[in-house]
Amino acid sequence: MIINAAGLWQKETSLPTIATFSRSLDNVLGNNGIQLGSITEVLGLSGTGKTQLCLQLCASVQVPKSLGGLEAEALYIDTNTNFNLNRFKEILLASLEKCHNILKITKSVNIEDALRKLHYVRTSGLEKFCSLMYTLPKFIEERPNVRIIAIDSIIDPFKEGITLQRRTGLLFRLMADLQRIAVSRQIAIVLMNQMSTRIGLSTGAVVGALGDGWAHRCNIRLLLSAPRNVDAERVAALLKSNSSPETVGRFRICQDGIRDIL
Amino acid sequence: MDTLYSDLSKNLTQPIIKKLSQNRIKTLIDFLQEDIEKLSNLTKLEIPCILQIRKNIFEIYSATVVNSLSLFNTVCSRITELETGIESLDSILNGGINIGYITEVCGLAGSGKTQLCMQLAVNCVKNRDKTVLYIDSKGDFSAIRIQKVLEECSFSHKEMAAVMLKIKVAFIWTMDELVDILLQVKNNKNEYNCLSLIILDSLPSLMFQHFGDENKIGLKFLNIFVNHVKYICKTMEVAVICVNIQTRWIDQSVSDVNDNESSDLTTSDTYYRENINRCLGKYWKNIPKTIIILEKIRQKNTQIENNDTHIQTTVLNCDIGQIKKSVLTITSSGVI
Repeated sequence: MIINAAGLWQKETSLPTIATFSRSLDNVLGNNGIQLGSITEVLGLSGTGKTQLCLQLCASVQVPKSLGGLEAEALYIDTNTNFNLNRFKEILLASLEKCHNILKITKSVNIEDALRKLHYVRTSGLEKFCSLMYTLPKFIEERPNVRIIAIDSIIDPFKEGITLQRRTGLLFRLMADLQRIAVSRQIAIVLMNQMSTRIGLSTGAVVGALGDGWAHRCNIRLLLSAPRNVDAERVAALLKSNSSPETVGRFRICQDGIRDIL
Repeated sequence: MDTLYSDLSKNLTQPIIKKLSQNRIKTLIDFLQEDIEKLSNLTKLEIPCILQIRKNIFEIYSATVVNSLSLFNTVCSRITELETGIESLDSILNGGINIGYITEVCGLAGSGKTQLCMQLAVNCVKNRDKTVLYIDSKGDFSAIRIQKVLEECSFSHKEMAAVMLKIKVAFIWTMDELVDILLQVKNNKNEYNCLSLIILDSLPSLMFQHFGDENKIGLKFLNIFVNHVKYICKTMEVAVICVNIQTRWIDQSVSDVNDNESSDLTTSDTYYRENINRCLGKYWKNIPKTIIILEKIRQKNTQIENNDTHIQTTVLNCDIGQIKKSVLTITSSGVI
């Protein structure tokens, strides 16, 4: 299927994005948040807010259409057992209440309905992860309202039991299949990835896990860091993007989720 | 392979073709491989008639001998370079991207490969009545970015639309689909007669899918791909750009204690040397005629005034081993 860029532009501009609830972070990502149809990789050391951002995005996807949101559902694939339901409930409630306040809706948020819009899968090990990925097209077909697939994290299933070469092959096959669905159904893919150390690199020894070949695969790469460990302040740097310049933004993690620094 | 058809010879009538087909002689190859006497018996044709048909097939399908002077004249009348519209790049490329050959753009992740490709796509169609085919294998093509680049260059809406209509984008996810697209171009030459450039971004994200397979199927696909591309770029006079990536590995060497020259130095020093490697293996290594290597220049000062990224560009001409360097800048208005 060959389309011209003008037609593609119309399609791209008609798509909404998924807001992070931090204007600074949205600006860094460009086009006001996470793009649909693209693979966004979030990198960072532990404790820099990867999972928090992930939970926020799964809540943000429920923003009503009247506020430019998607009013859609999320699929959360948990491979490292970092998911915390109470924390998600907290973020979801705060995010939806914020929307209600802006829209001046007095009715309180129905949290049960909202929770129904998150589909949670926990997989452990490579076999379970792969079989989930193979059944994903069917899953998405049955739940057409899913507009974000978050995988926290992509590295965990590949930590053992596979050679490096096979890992690369398998990862690229899985990503091709995943993005095929993402592009045709306009779903955002968000992958969490850890950092690893490679001593001797000229660009700094701490780099994203899974190697240089993988770094090339994702459309957008965002690096999170915590400049002062105790503080809630976080810095996000765009390492790679197909449409935005590489800038740096700041946000904080509070009880309500991801917000701008006051 | 083509099947037998009646235009080959006046003796080869439809009933005879049908008769042959019933005896499992359907294609030209089947016909050529069959025993002449058996063919004669089947078709009830004289042996000289069969020989004449064979001769006709050979004449139509064998390569022709061309006088080198006439070849020289046709080559001279053709345009051999496609101007990129980026002055510094054109000068290190000796005029532009070679038409009829494969040019490789390679670099580490985030070094501006896709940005350069999108810019080349824009520049190629901007002031010409030509089209570009952009084959995207990882969803990286951004029409919004293209539109922003054109807007910064103060194009009107109408002009923007005209340029963007000439950029054709194909999203593919496997090597199979890549070969299908190329076949489509090959078999519909008239539809693509304005084509001046094919960009494939990127080859490794397709080839890596076959990594770790023992059956070497990836290499087979790469070979098919290269054959089709070579045919298309020669016969249709288009330039082809393939994106490749680089990976790094670290050499760790502990200096030898017994080494006389370094004996006075600290003996347990560990050296790390960073090596950069073009992907896709030995077969691919000599396929491209020109290689454009991109490397991001890191700004030392922390104060960044604007969002411009500077890219060190090295052009390697494989035929004569010539290396030329220049610096490109990625700005909000594109690559300059």
